[in-house]
Amino acid sequence: MSIFHSKAGSTQELPRSMRPSHLAKIITVAVLIITLIYFLFPIYWAVIASTKSPSQLIGSNGIWFASSLKDLPDAIATNYSKLLGWTHARFWQWVANSLIYSGVSAVIGTIVSVMAGYGTAKFNFRGKGIAMAVVMASLLMPAALMTIPQYSIFQALHLDNTMLSIIIPCSVSPFGFFLGRVYAQSSVPTELLEAARIDGAGEARIFFTIVLRLLAPAMVTIFLFLFVATWNNFLLPLMMLSSEGLYPVTLGLYGMVSLPTFNDRGALMMGALLGVLPVIILFLCLQRFWQAGLAAGAVKG
Amino acid sequence: MSATRRSSAARPGRAGRSDAVKRAERTGWAFMAPFGILFIVVFIIPIIYAIYSSFFQDVASGGGAYGGGTMVNKFVGLANFRYVVTSAAFWSGIGRVLIYTLIQVPIMIIAALALAMVLDSYMVKHVTPFRLGYFLPYAIPGVVASIIWVFLYNPQISPIVKGLSSIGITVDFFAGKVVLASMANITTWTFTGYNMLIFLAALQAIPHDLYEAARIDGATGLQIALHIKLPNVRGAALLAMLLSIIGTIQLFNEPQVMQTADPGISNSFTPMMMAMNTSRGTLTPKGNGPASAIAIVMALIAGVLAFLYAWIERKVNE
Amino acid sequence: MISEGKRLLAAVTSLAALSIALSGCGSSGASKSSSESESSKSDEKVQITYLHRLPDKPNMTPVNDIVARWNKSHPNIQVKATKFNGKSAEMIKKLETDVKAGNAPDLAQVGYAELPEVYTKSMLEDVSAEASKYKDNFSPGAYKLMGIDGKMFGLPQDTGPLVYFYNKAEFDKLGISVPTSKDELIETAKKAAAQGKYIMSYQPDEAGNMMPGLAGATKPWYTVKNDAWVVDTQTDGSKQVADVYQQLLDAKAAPTNPRWDPSFDASLKNGQLIGTVGSAWEAPLIVDTMGDTGKGEWRVAQLGDWFGNSGKSSPDGGSGVAVLKGSKHPEQAMEFLNWFNTQVKDLTSQGLVLAATTEEAKTPESWSSFFGDQDLMKEFATANKNMGDFTYMPGFSSVAAAMTETAAKAATGQAKVADIFSQAQTTSVATLKDYGLAVAK
Repeated sequence: MSIFHSKAGSTQELPRSMRPSHLAKIITVAVLIITLIYFLFPIYWAVIASTKSPSQLIGSNGIWFASSLKDLPDAIATNYSKLLGWTHARFWQWVANSLIYSGVSAVIGTIVSVMAGYGTAKFNFRGKGIAMAVVMASLLMPAALMTIPQYSIFQALHLDNTMLSIIIPCSVSPFGFFLGRVYAQSSVPTELLEAARIDGAGEARIFFTIVLRLLAPAMVTIFLFLFVATWNNFLLPLMMLSSEGLYPVTLGLYGMVSLPTFNDRGALMMGALLGVLPVIILFLCLQRFWQAGLAAGAVKG
Repeated sequence: MSATRRSSAARPGRAGRSDAVKRAERTGWAFMAPFGILFIVVFIIPIIYAIYSSFFQDVASGGGAYGGGTMVNKFVGLANFRYVVTSAAFWSGIGRVLIYTLIQVPIMIIAALALAMVLDSYMVKHVTPFRLGYFLPYAIPGVVASIIWVFLYNPQISPIVKGLSSIGITVDFFAGKVVLASMANITTWTFTGYNMLIFLAALQAIPHDLYEAARIDGATGLQIALHIKLPNVRGAALLAMLLSIIGTIQLFNEPQVMQTADPGISNSFTPMMMAMNTSRGTLTPKGNGPASAIAIVMALIAGVLAFLYAWIERKVNE
Repeated sequence: MISEGKRLLAAVTSLAALSIALSGCGSSGASKSSSESESSKSDEKVQITYLHRLPDKPNMTPVNDIVARWNKSHPNIQVKATKFNGKSAEMIKKLETDVKAGNAPDLAQVGYAELPEVYTKSMLEDVSAEASKYKDNFSPGAYKLMGIDGKMFGLPQDTGPLVYFYNKAEFDKLGISVPTSKDELIETAKKAAAQGKYIMSYQPDEAGNMMPGLAGATKPWYTVKNDAWVVDTQTDGSKQVADVYQQLLDAKAAPTNPRWDPSFDASLKNGQLIGTVGSAWEAPLIVDTMGDTGKGEWRVAQLGDWFGNSGKSSPDGGSGVAVLKGSKHPEQAMEFLNWFNTQVKDLTSQGLVLAATTEEAKTPESWSSFFGDQDLMKEFATANKNMGDFTYMPGFSSVAAAMTETAAKAATGQAKVADIFSQAQTTSVATLKDYGLAVAK
């Protein structure tokens, strides 16, 4: 039973009425595959493009390598060295920086979001309504336009051009707070809190031992959301950072694109694909938790 | 909300009660504080700054043809807001993002929902490759995604355009009426998989006994999809819709990148482009003031839309 | 629950601290002690910062290597160069914020077209005295572009004289030669177009940069009279430019691919586009784009008398390095800058056509082999000397943007090429007024 209960093969178990007809099945799979091609073709194109020189990119067949398979490693090496050249051999350092920015700000952001979400979901305090309204309203403000005033503030605090100047702004997300609140409402039973209080547990202890465990899947969701948002942000680092050693990888790639004379699109594609790799790996590792987390919020949301 | 009310009401007795209220008050704020402080630094102060600056304009003051190289920030009252609301470019930008919102957002949400339902049904054996494949575009940074698509739209280079024309179909992805759809396609490509995952998660959280019951009643697969699955992902769909609407109002990356291929896309094609380009001085040299005013008006419009959406949604529900 | 109370207190205190810190936010850098800038004793060690947007691509001599050489031989003037990884408008925005906060770099790359704008925004330091010491090291036309109101703000770095790039082999095959007059240009273009080849390109996205150049070779658009701006963007030169391009468009004798879209590169690569007006700094780009296609067949020529310009060229792009307001060591900064901008060999490797006249720039091997062993640098130097007199107005970037937009409409027939220039007129006047500057009727 258990083995058949996994998705594959379970069709046999369904009653006649629910068993899809052969034709319907074939059509469905066909549609799904066509859709898959739609989503993957541009990425496939980018993979092919990442092996091409500027002249090959416009002169050769778009859907296959321009060099023979034998020369392919050379072509890849050429673009890779171009990429390292463009990024002053700091490409992997920048990827590492991106990991630090995204990782740290996502951790901090997740914890403060969950705390605030829990605080507003489970406690009454004066000013709560206003505080929540203000946070929700800030969702409407275009975040990109906050960059300049944020830069002024961090400059006044003498924190510009530091890792903190990226981590602090990226660890605050009204959306994260919103999700945290929704999750706390839906998956933290008040009765459990009451019981713990009667047992004499302090609020801090309740939160860190009971609530955080209940909210774990929710935290994965917020974590991933913040992680990707920070990973893809380039406007903030563009303003805040002036030391090359602190750049995240997207800023490096943007540096290539922003020159009017830029035409090494192959090297750019390679940079984009390599730069995205850590995010994909992270998603693959966390997707199980993540889905559970999403479901918890989505149903009640 | 109901949970909160219960927690404070749970303690009987007058004295005890006020203690509990105080305690809840302190604890609530303590939990809110870390987020609150960060939020003030990162959002509130910049927003106050933006509102404050929206009443000012940069004006050359030193005399001479070049203003003597001195510039002052002059209080202009509501002039920046007047500039925004009387600007034809701003309203046609709003018009564009509204059309975009009305067409792209529903298509994306419905597509995501349909894909999620199919993947959740027993129609396909191996779900994982589809799920991952659909989701992959979300990991590509927006600017890069737009660069890829600009290439794929390009008549001289794109294997897609070339392939289509070899079978007798000519398409111009940059034609005046088509360009918005081409842009919408980039957004759809990027975010459909992400929304699909959210729906899929919601679907998989539906208790299994609901299906069992329906099965006993002799419901068909389609009936189950329509009557059990759909109502259960409504919450997720509405949330995704709301966030997409807010996101679309702020449309920026796609048009900005497509501008390189189609200079006909103006610097004020969308309100967000107008705001950014105003701030950078490529539309008017008046500084941050007008840019802030655009952002504020945009936020107000987005707020009204979000409110309207929530209101209609509630009405329809009743 | 004492701990919660303490936490709240801590929160309040940190908030208070924050607001104190922030109150300093709006104040300008005026409070900085100016006494330091006076002392420039040679034994004092100073630190100069320099923000640039040079490409620093592979196979180029990196800016940091050039700077390292200076630092080694000048222990008392240590320079730190940083590359800005964004667009020029974004860099100006950042610098504007930095100048207001009083911690801008000493030196920054500024395009000639942007200098008036940056000056009006009070971001520049007057370094006329220092600049005059180095005047003879640079081409006079470019040198002048780094000054406004009779004051100098830095030194020129590279120039972008417009020249004509063409594929000589293809020209010979078609039996045509580089036209010398307007009528000849149009006639030749039509002749080539009949064979599916194009000897001119209409680049809507470059309209804001190239067209003022082409038109301005005849007569400048912006002049100052009694402290008020006299704006005339519809000069004879403009009319000629409009006429030429309109005729080419009407006859479908010029492709309309935007310059920075890959489709332009494709039209070069597939041999359709065999001649185009371009800025000198486009030479290495064309080489890069073409790969081995057409190698050795291309040449560079001076612009013909096509737009009533009597053979004069004019600038498209190019930039200098300016000393920013608040720099504590303008004298040392200029000393370094003069040295840096005259490192001809290294800067040429960055794809620049230099404003420095201290030594003759050698044409890089990869360029000359593509352009049939032609001495491109000599050709560009000629164009440099032959430049018309064009000055930009503050806020020119918004004019350029408006021109580009109209140019795109003209490409599809929704507007006329002449509309680009009338649009320029309207936008120029409006922008100057937005600044609060006087415009003469």
